[in-house]
Amino acid sequence: MGLRWYHFALWAAFIAIMVAIPEFVSKGTLRIIIFANFLAIFAISWDVLSGRTGYISFGHPFLIGIGAYTSAILTKRFDVPIEWAIPAAVVMTMIGGIIVFLPALRIKGSYFALVTLAFMELTYQLVQVIRPDLTGGTRGMSGVQTLTRGALNGYYLSASLMVTIALSMWLLMRTQLGTALSAIGMNEESVRGSGLSTTKLKLFAFLTSAFVAGLGGAFYVHYLGSIAPRALFDINFLFTIIVAALIGGASTIIGPVIGAFFLTFLLEYLRPYLPGAERYFIYGLIALLLYMYEPKGIIELLRKGWHRLFSRHSVETPS
Amino acid sequence: MLQIIVQGLLLSGLYALIAMGFTLIFSVGRVLNLAYGAYLLIGGYIYFTVSQTLGVPKVLGLLLAAMVGCLVGLLKYRLLVKPLKGNHVAVEISTLILAVVVQAGVVFIYGDSSKILLPIVPGVTQVAGASVTYNLLAATIGSWAILFALYWFVRKTHVGRAMQAVSMDTKGAAISGVDPDRINMFTWGLSGMLGATAGVFFASYTQLSPSMWVAPLIIAVAVVIVGGIGSIIGTLIVAHIIGFMEVLAVAVIAPELRGVFTMLLIIGVLVIRPQGLFGREEL
Repeated sequence: MGLRWYHFALWAAFIAIMVAIPEFVSKGTLRIIIFANFLAIFAISWDVLSGRTGYISFGHPFLIGIGAYTSAILTKRFDVPIEWAIPAAVVMTMIGGIIVFLPALRIKGSYFALVTLAFMELTYQLVQVIRPDLTGGTRGMSGVQTLTRGALNGYYLSASLMVTIALSMWLLMRTQLGTALSAIGMNEESVRGSGLSTTKLKLFAFLTSAFVAGLGGAFYVHYLGSIAPRALFDINFLFTIIVAALIGGASTIIGPVIGAFFLTFLLEYLRPYLPGAERYFIYGLIALLLYMYEPKGIIELLRKGWHRLFSRHSVETPS
Repeated sequence: MLQIIVQGLLLSGLYALIAMGFTLIFSVGRVLNLAYGAYLLIGGYIYFTVSQTLGVPKVLGLLLAAMVGCLVGLLKYRLLVKPLKGNHVAVEISTLILAVVVQAGVVFIYGDSSKILLPIVPGVTQVAGASVTYNLLAATIGSWAILFALYWFVRKTHVGRAMQAVSMDTKGAAISGVDPDRINMFTWGLSGMLGATAGVFFASYTQLSPSMWVAPLIIAVAVVIVGGIGSIIGTLIVAHIIGFMEVLAVAVIAPELRGVFTMLLIIGVLVIRPQGLFGREEL
């Protein structure tokens, strides 16, 4: 896997910071970080699929929504205990992942993005019409059982979930499997040419992504305690997930985490000046400029800065 | 029955107009302009400000909306699409971000609540038992006129044929002395103009709200995908299929399901016949 000493050091430092955070920040900030954690999970899920394989998914809210709705419906309407509802939600989301996977067998590029966008809008409209007694229709559901009480517990739960997912996905992507997925993003034909089954690899990427999305969605709904179709199957939500992954640095797993924290805090710091949806104006502009300036994301900027600081001789080589 | 046909025809005309500008970019530039909905937003709100608030004549308002749309299209090509050098994923993502930025900008200036746009052409008439507003009728006639003009333009004029050439093969067109960059510029401007005009009509058909760009974008996407790339006739036919499907769904099944069949059509066609019903055999 090519693990180096500094990988261990960086991960240890990351975990240490996540553990230490509640000692230093207020309850309000802690609540913001909880949202950043969930956004990071969703962004990682997007990254595993789209950042790696280049199959841009505009339908991730569809997967997250399946996870969230399944778990919410099971616990609220059928009184299933949470510890059963969440695994069931993850399984349902993985089935949803297979549904999204089917078009990817035939189409790629822009067309795939459009199909997934259509999936998202389709669910948005269907959720409101089909069995509103289960889904709560347009207004959604409230009073869903929550797992934790108080900001501190919520923080520890979301942070440990996020760190676990980030670490396991990071390790997974350092195996040959991860390399093969990246190769699909570069040139799918040559991956097939070298004797690998791209179908199996893609299926694996979709299932992993759906697994993470379902897990994140289910825990998210049990943190919020409520769910509404317009908040979930929404272009703004999709936008935040994709931008978090891209601004942080696609196909790096740790990049989306950085991006999620950056975006969440940016949005929060804008709140005193712009209270409503107009915040997205500044937020979007910053995201757009950053993306145009460095499409590889913040992590690439950090890497360049690091090189400029610590390895002088590498700068001298003419490019 | 006749009522459904009349309503279907009118709605389809509007949809054809919405989809036209999107098709142009998709076939010539080969990029997915997810900020296409932003033209509709800009067109609708410019018209609202100029004609309804300031009281400028409606025709002038419509012209101004079209011109601003054209300008936005040109700027978008210069500042966004060209620097990304045909990287499709980057263009999709950055236009998506831009659409959200424009939406937030509209919220910033006009507020979150939706606004009623007075009909561009006031009055109602009865056609076969269905009440038809002159407004929608004007939109339909206007969109037919624009479609025919566009068809003639693309087929017969020099610039139009150059656009066709670029859409088939950029390098080949460049070798034959066509400047793909200028053609692209031209197409982006034209697309912005069409989008803004469609936005004025669409807003007067529904209402003006900051989130009104998503539904037309999906319709445009559906029309382009099902119709196939670069086929004006295909666009026209599929706009009618979708328009009639919506009217039928509303009349026969339930108003809430009006968009569902459009989505199913997109998914179905893309999975079964990715090149579209009328498109060229390529992807």
